Amino acid sequence: MTDTTLDHAHDDSHGHGSIAQQADNWKTAFWLYLASEVVIFSVLIAMFVLYRLEFPARIKEVHEAAGVLLVAINTFLLLTSSWAMVMGLHQMRKGDRAGLIRWFSIMCALGALFVGLQYVEYQTLANEGITLYSDSFGMRFYAPTAFHGFHVIVGVLWGLLVINHARKGGYSAERTIGIEVFGLYWHFVDVVWIVLFTVIYLI
Amino acid sequence: MAQVHEHAPAAFTDKAIPGTEKEAVDAAAPHNHDVTVIMGRTLPFPVYTVVFGILAAITIVEVIISELPEGTIGNILLIVLSLIKAVLVVAFYMHLREESPLYTAILVVPVVLVVIATLFLTSVPLGNY
Repeated sequence: MTDTTLDHAHDDSHGHGSIAQQADNWKTAFWLYLASEVVIFSVLIAMFVLYRLEFPARIKEVHEAAGVLLVAINTFLLLTSSWAMVMGLHQMRKGDRAGLIRWFSIMCALGALFVGLQYVEYQTLANEGITLYSDSFGMRFYAPTAFHGFHVIVGVLWGLLVINHARKGGYSAERTIGIEVFGLYWHFVDVVWIVLFTVIYLI
Repeated sequence: MAQVHEHAPAAFTDKAIPGTEKEAVDAAAPHNHDVTVIMGRTLPFPVYTVVFGILAAITIVEVIISELPEGTIGNILLIVLSLIKAVLVVAFYMHLREESPLYTAILVVPVVLVVIATLFLTSVPLGNY
């Protein structure tokens, strides 16, 4: 995982360029990493779409078994966590470290709640006989959603590390690249869920 | 998409272009960072909150559409709405509207390639593989 602190981004003593250049380097590197994630998630989603086109009746059965309420709540949780994340960055850019910690705490709590509700959803589906190996649907459903859930868990842990670093005075209004890079990750996870929510649960 | 401006530090939003409405707004309220001007109206929230409101509203609409009898128009609408949500998050929360076009290319190129590959796959009989 990327260094959560990225403290050296502010250290200009090693001849690696200005703060802005180093921040740009971090962002470029992280966008390239996100591109690899795009490919992985796109392939998983494509597999589901192809199955959906071939077996629409099975998808309808699953939709009726699972319902949309729980997933809709989860979607709101993740959207709200994304808002909390960017508001934390907004506060830090105004020099309000306590604001950053407050918003990020909300973000982490919502992310953890998302994972908890996803577990409840999996239990519900398992009770309906829909498991990883129950039929050809199982892998196509659980692979993208569980892989996304894993990303949420990583994001929550990363968010906690950012909070810890902020408590130690690790960021300032001018030095926020560590938060920005984490934000790219968290918002990407949100975007992936926006697509998964529509493709897997709504259509 | 609605024209949205946030009054915020230069590094945080689009740089004001000389002669534009944004420059005029920034000059009029240079210290107000928590206000959003959208289609001439000033809202007492940061742009992030306005975007969140739009995302939440779209999600409610999506859920309502999904509960209606299934149809092609509804499915197309759901896809369009989800794309709007994704673009909003990427543009405003991931700040892509302020960043180098290179980042946009990094994001879009793999998506386009996978969509093309998927379209090819749809022409192949799947069976229960």
